[in-house]
Amino acid sequence: MTSTLFYIFSITTILSSFFVVFSSNPVHSVLFLIFSFFNVAIIFLLSDAEFLAMTLVIVYVGAVAVLFLFVVMMLNINEVLVKEGFLKYFPLGLLLISVFLTELIVVFKDLEFFSSNNSGISISNLLNQGHENTKSLGLYLYTDFFIIFQISGYLLLVAMIGAIVLAHDNKLSLKSQNILKQKQVKKDDIIKLK
Amino acid sequence: MTSSNYLILSSIIFSIGFLGIFINRKNIISILMSIELMLLATNINFVGFSNTLDDLFGQIFALFILVVAAAEAAIGLAILTIFFKKSGSISIDKINKLKG
Repeated sequence: MTSTLFYIFSITTILSSFFVVFSSNPVHSVLFLIFSFFNVAIIFLLSDAEFLAMTLVIVYVGAVAVLFLFVVMMLNINEVLVKEGFLKYFPLGLLLISVFLTELIVVFKDLEFFSSNNSGISISNLLNQGHENTKSLGLYLYTDFFIIFQISGYLLLVAMIGAIVLAHDNKLSLKSQNILKQKQVKKDDIIKLK
Repeated sequence: MTSSNYLILSSIIFSIGFLGIFINRKNIISILMSIELMLLATNINFVGFSNTLDDLFGQIFALFILVVAAAEAAIGLAILTIFFKKSGSISIDKINKLKG
């Protein structure tokens, strides 16, 4: 049952990610990206990663994909120009990708990994102690991986400040006060004695 | 599901993303979306191995990849909007001002 669902959602993920790349309208490709995120969230649910599945839906679909959609609609892109040069790069890209993918699939086809059981954080042990997925993630994220967690928070802060600084337009026609200019005004510039 | 299922799924999605970077030369938004697809493929790998090897560390690392992907999308789209404002197009062939 789980295996069948996995295959179904894998096929829909692959198809929708194919349409992300090949659809000519950028809005359609963003919508297909959202659809493939949803499918991958279901695959995460089938792999017992409930917290990550919900985070994927919230962060990717709720924030990133909507940001993409917003930018696509704001920029008003010419569709005809977008597909220019498609045929020029397509054969080389297809050749490279088919070689790459064939190699990967030949290697990965019969590959099987087994747990060594001597290191790492065992999920089944945590489940036996009564910790679900979200609780056990929190148990390790806030203790063992606390420094990395803090650094990723700072990374998000820096990204937010950077995005605001980049996108903020200083030359808007706002009647705001320029303090540096105001301080540099000399007496002779503004008062004229006759 | 065995680990080879996850590996093949993620390598197919990664290759589609790579192909997208190759063929969409006139559209930076498509390139950013292809990068998102590739990051999603790595996430599938991490979660799949976390499932098959019974180790929680894969899910923790996938969470950090999610953080990096969100930051990258925000910065990339901010750069894209100011580039569109300056030049009026989003073709990467036009990005040659730093070429010297």
